[in-house]
Amino acid sequence: MRLVRLVAAVMVATAVLGAVGFAQAKLKVGFIYVGPIGDYGWSHAHNLGRLIVERDLGVETVYVESVPEGEVETYIDQLVRQGCNVIFTTSFGFMDGTLAAAQRYPNVIFAHCSGFKRAPNLATYMADFYQVYYLNGLMAGALTKTGKVGYVGAFPIPEVKRHISAFTIGVREVNPNATVHVRWIYEWFNPAAAKEATEALIAEGCDVFAFTEDSPTVVQVAAEKGFPSFGHYSPMYDFAPNHVVSGQIVHWEEIYVDFLGKVKAGEYTAKNLANVDYWWLLSQKAVELGAKSGMPVNPVFEGALKAYIVDHPVFGRISVYDLVFVRLAQMGNPGITFDPFEGPVYDRKGGLQVPAGHWMSYDALITMEWAVEGVVGPWPGEP
Amino acid sequence: MRRVGPLLVERRITPPRSAVIGVSALAVVIALLVAAIIFWGYGVSPWQAYAAIARGTVGSRDGINEILRRSLPLILCGVGLTLAFRAQFWNIGAEGQLLAGAVAATGVALFAPLPGPWLLLAMFAAGFLAGGAWGIVPALLRAKLHVNEVISTLMMNYIMIYIVEWLIHGPWKGATMRGFAYSDFFPAAARLPWIPGSRVHWPTLVIGVAAAVAVALILARTRLGYEIRVVGQSTDAARYAGIDFLRVIAWAMFLSGGLAALAGVGEVAGVHFRLRSPTHISMGYGYTAIIVAWLARGSPLAAVFTALLFGLIFAAGDVIKVALRMPFQITGVFNGLILFFLIGSEMLMYWRVRLAPKGERWTGRAGSSER
Amino acid sequence: MDWQSWLIGTVSRALAFGTPLLWGTLGEIYTERAGVVNLGVEGMMILGAFSAFAVAQTTGHPGLGVLIAAVVGGAAAVLHAFLTVTLRANQYVSGLALSLFGLGLAGLLGRGWEGIPLRQPLPNVTIPGLSRIPVLGPMLFQGQSVLTYAGLFLAVVLWVLLYRTRWGISVRSVGESPSTADALGVNVFLVRYLCVGFGGLLAGVAGGFLSVAYRPAWTEGMTAGMGWIVIALTIFAAWDPLQAVWGAFLFGGLYHLSFRLQEFVAPELLKLMPYAFAILVLALTGLGKARRRWGAPGALGLPYTRGER
Repeated sequence: MRLVRLVAAVMVATAVLGAVGFAQAKLKVGFIYVGPIGDYGWSHAHNLGRLIVERDLGVETVYVESVPEGEVETYIDQLVRQGCNVIFTTSFGFMDGTLAAAQRYPNVIFAHCSGFKRAPNLATYMADFYQVYYLNGLMAGALTKTGKVGYVGAFPIPEVKRHISAFTIGVREVNPNATVHVRWIYEWFNPAAAKEATEALIAEGCDVFAFTEDSPTVVQVAAEKGFPSFGHYSPMYDFAPNHVVSGQIVHWEEIYVDFLGKVKAGEYTAKNLANVDYWWLLSQKAVELGAKSGMPVNPVFEGALKAYIVDHPVFGRISVYDLVFVRLAQMGNPGITFDPFEGPVYDRKGGLQVPAGHWMSYDALITMEWAVEGVVGPWPGEP
Repeated sequence: MRRVGPLLVERRITPPRSAVIGVSALAVVIALLVAAIIFWGYGVSPWQAYAAIARGTVGSRDGINEILRRSLPLILCGVGLTLAFRAQFWNIGAEGQLLAGAVAATGVALFAPLPGPWLLLAMFAAGFLAGGAWGIVPALLRAKLHVNEVISTLMMNYIMIYIVEWLIHGPWKGATMRGFAYSDFFPAAARLPWIPGSRVHWPTLVIGVAAAVAVALILARTRLGYEIRVVGQSTDAARYAGIDFLRVIAWAMFLSGGLAALAGVGEVAGVHFRLRSPTHISMGYGYTAIIVAWLARGSPLAAVFTALLFGLIFAAGDVIKVALRMPFQITGVFNGLILFFLIGSEMLMYWRVRLAPKGERWTGRAGSSER
Repeated sequence: MDWQSWLIGTVSRALAFGTPLLWGTLGEIYTERAGVVNLGVEGMMILGAFSAFAVAQTTGHPGLGVLIAAVVGGAAAVLHAFLTVTLRANQYVSGLALSLFGLGLAGLLGRGWEGIPLRQPLPNVTIPGLSRIPVLGPMLFQGQSVLTYAGLFLAVVLWVLLYRTRWGISVRSVGESPSTADALGVNVFLVRYLCVGFGGLLAGVAGGFLSVAYRPAWTEGMTAGMGWIVIALTIFAAWDPLQAVWGAFLFGGLYHLSFRLQEFVAPELLKLMPYAFAILVLALTGLGKARRRWGAPGALGLPYTRGER
């Protein structure tokens, strides 16, 4: 009797599933974060993206936070066991674990953030800031009086090195003699380290600040001393409304909504992701210029930036304020006509890295180890 | 002896095993009841919560594997620490010693052209020596220069962390890692096998249990063990007995550091297969092992069980995080509560409660000795 | 850059970064002087940091925030005292459990409080007159927190209290030999409770300093291991409040220099410098000094039962 009922239930279920189709099966999306969602940085931003996905697409989501890199596979196991059929893993260190899990669960769709290994059911994605850092650099170059711009970096890895170099190219485009001074804190999140690194830069005479780490510390410390700075990752305008010039904001939701929309529509399946790589920049709106959404440049600095006129090789006499928006349009509109690493670009040891008229390839960008001219300070792993 | 109502409470010198187990179990139950209030406050039915935790830990094969996997590094670090603690040498440095083992194993795995099983053997040996050497330093500092070992071992943890950072950002940065701070992957021969269907690198488990037995034997049966116990009781007594303080603590710390380092070898050879950021190699195992060794009251065999207890606690934390979808910080609160109740109840073990015969009077507190 | 900039920068940063370390260390010194080790400093600090931020943000009074942080830190310490003094539980485990518990609880309560700038941070002070002195002025008297000077003052007071008053003798005797102290009529339990609670009070202030003055914002895990440095500094200072001053500021200065010097020395190696330096200093002082001077309080870590020896 029980067996009969069971068989009947299975048959009904199969019929229903068959009618609706597998692609229409209810999505349950898992997110694995490397930090706590309260970090107000990387994991916080991914989680905001997740919440928007939940709101806009009406799919069920689950997340796990503070997952150590070596543990990612065990958490993937648990999420799969819970019925997740799409899983995002959001740290470079999760790459190999995600790949192994993707091979173990061929019917689950995976997407790994910031890595380079893909599989039929494993896509990669990244929202990168180098263009925005370049725009910030233009403003920083115009605002420094001492000709020294300070930069606090988390770890000397390609992502951060790329950001610093793009930023420096911007600085030197409007202020050829200015230098960018770098300090590393070797942590993604440590307010005390970020603070003392900033203080060290201040003591060395830097008077404008940018950074890549997960807290608004640099913005706060700079503002305390009256120096302008650029926010990073999350909206940091509120931390220093009179001193934050601009910055970068990420919109992971753009990628998540697009990706999951295509999964829902049946366009992405667990069979065809081997070439799916989101490398989303300004033109896809995955990143935004500003310290606050919708405000590319803090009005407080509009006057100073408009008053700083440069003799530009391409645009002639132009204010930095206008230059920022011209460049933003060149990179932000579809059909990108400019890249910060447009050749000729020399590294700081004098070697030609990008020949005149060329742009850097994606591979060259994501493995970038060298520093451009104008970067001052230690550069571990410099070729 | 003390009279409480109709009951008579006595203190005893050493609690019987039944009291230890009974009281500890009671403490855990009370802690779980208190934690239930937190679950309930979060809108999760405590009943469902504990059912899920049971399913995700002791109630399933996967769960049991998880417990084992989580306890692997704790067994070795914990067993090693019991040795140091028996000598009253406060080794807070298992974390750094573990990393020292990971570093040495990585060096061997990447650069020593050894065939087959010899490679793994050499990794464990090199790891043991490196951790032992890292452990001897505080012993020397203490014996020769009177540097307090709590401070030296703690500081040396930070030093080792930055040595690892330096290695992965500098000389050992992997050519295949695209500029990211990892060493290259180990060759296949340098990877530990897993129990099929799990991620439990069983050789580490075997080594851990063997180490517990070996340390127990050393403590109970050898001259070194005797000397360690004497030094632990009183350095003055040790001096009168003609025991060389330096030699004894140097050996204790060599072994203690070496065992912690074996845990590090196990982590890189059984989990990561490369050297990576120190905070991702060890999630504070060296510190958790301090609690493991303490709860075991300095007994290496008991440390295996307290390590398993922590494996269970960590696995339960995962269930709380993933299946119950509660904030991960709950696990800290949860672990803290269990520990508070476990140690807070310790005094109860020393009490014997019986019905007071009529007419007996309060006679003051009886003397007793702690542990 | 001339030597003046290096001197001014390093010393003034040493004072700022050393302040939470000093408060925490002074507290732990009193705790341990009474014979109790409290490894829960990290937990008490983070609870202090969160409660200070929450109160300062809600009320607009950063001073009140620090005060509440002290109360919260003290309450957490009393829990440790109850476990270790009354229930005679293992002090090391209890402290580690307190750290776990505190980090978890603060993170839990703090969800949703991150990413908010504190509307009114604890202001820094510049001392009129003194701040004009060349070199010394900017080095010591410009833009420092009130809590920096309060910490220095407290260190002196606590030193006098410990070494020059009857009360201090009681504290020290409780830590050295509780049974002797008991025989002399000192209430061992009361002294231990007071000292442990006081230690938590100061750890709470240290945490509060971080979230309302040093870097006015809340993020979970923001103490980032300072509590462990405090434990080390307590021993480094040989349980002496005045030596804690130089220990905390020395560590602060080195920590700052580890960023300043990055232009000249590999950054990873610089990061380990403060820790290596701490060992080096102890080793050098240990050369030729009598062992007793660096000795811990005799009964440190041991529970006390009346009627026992």
